[in-house]
Amino acid sequence: MLNLLLQLQLLLAALSAFLPLVPEEYRVRAGEILDVVAKVLSAGGSIASNVDDLAVKLAAIRAEVEAMAAAGRAVSEEQLDAAMVRVRAASAAFREARQTAEAG
Amino acid sequence: MRHPLRVLALACALTFTPACASLQLGQTRIENPVAAAQTIDQRAYALLHAYAAIVEEATDIVADPATPLAFKRALGQAERAATPAAETLHVAATAYMRARADFDAASGASQTSIQRTATALAIAARRLNEAVAAAQAPIAELEGLVRAHRG
Repeated sequence: MLNLLLQLQLLLAALSAFLPLVPEEYRVRAGEILDVVAKVLSAGGSIASNVDDLAVKLAAIRAEVEAMAAAGRAVSEEQLDAAMVRVRAASAAFREARQTAEAG
Repeated sequence: MRHPLRVLALACALTFTPACASLQLGQTRIENPVAAAQTIDQRAYALLHAYAAIVEEATDIVADPATPLAFKRALGQAERAATPAAETLHVAATAYMRARADFDAASGASQTSIQRTATALAIAARRLNEAVAAAQAPIAELEGLVRAHRG
């Protein structure tokens, strides 16, 4: 999805390069339309990447757990500690971001 | 602009198409790592990692100036309830792993020793099961808020 958006944005940039070739009476309108399209592509990409982000992370965790289960492998203490380190780091970052948001 | 409605329709289509496409309705798009676990320690591990991913996502939402303050506070409240549950889960999982290692090590020892480590392992497993169950509700609450925000 993000690749498709990137390709659309590149196409848009390429189309913008042809703007001087558009007859003068339509050039302003064409420019406005390209501008609007660029803005909404950017907004849509942002929404898609946020949804993708969590899904990708959860899919990666699931794949790791599935591999563990298929191999009949137990979780080691180091792996568990690493997971908790990630939780603590995420929690600290979250609380800091929240404090900044409350202050601002 | 001569055709504002056409431009608006194009804008809406271009905005919503990628977001809707990324949901991939009808497929298992949002993965549940805990469901893939087959043992209690794998379940604890999956839950901790999944929780970390959810908090990372919540951080992005809180950092977004467009998010309403009330929603940020609700996220904060949910995180404050879920993180201690994750800490308890980690402690219980560590205790379980040590009890399991003791049990494995006692396999060649006396019957009394095997019995003692087996009892300790059963208690640790029960506590870990309780910790997983206790952590699931607050983590699910934060996850629900994150998903609600993403629409």
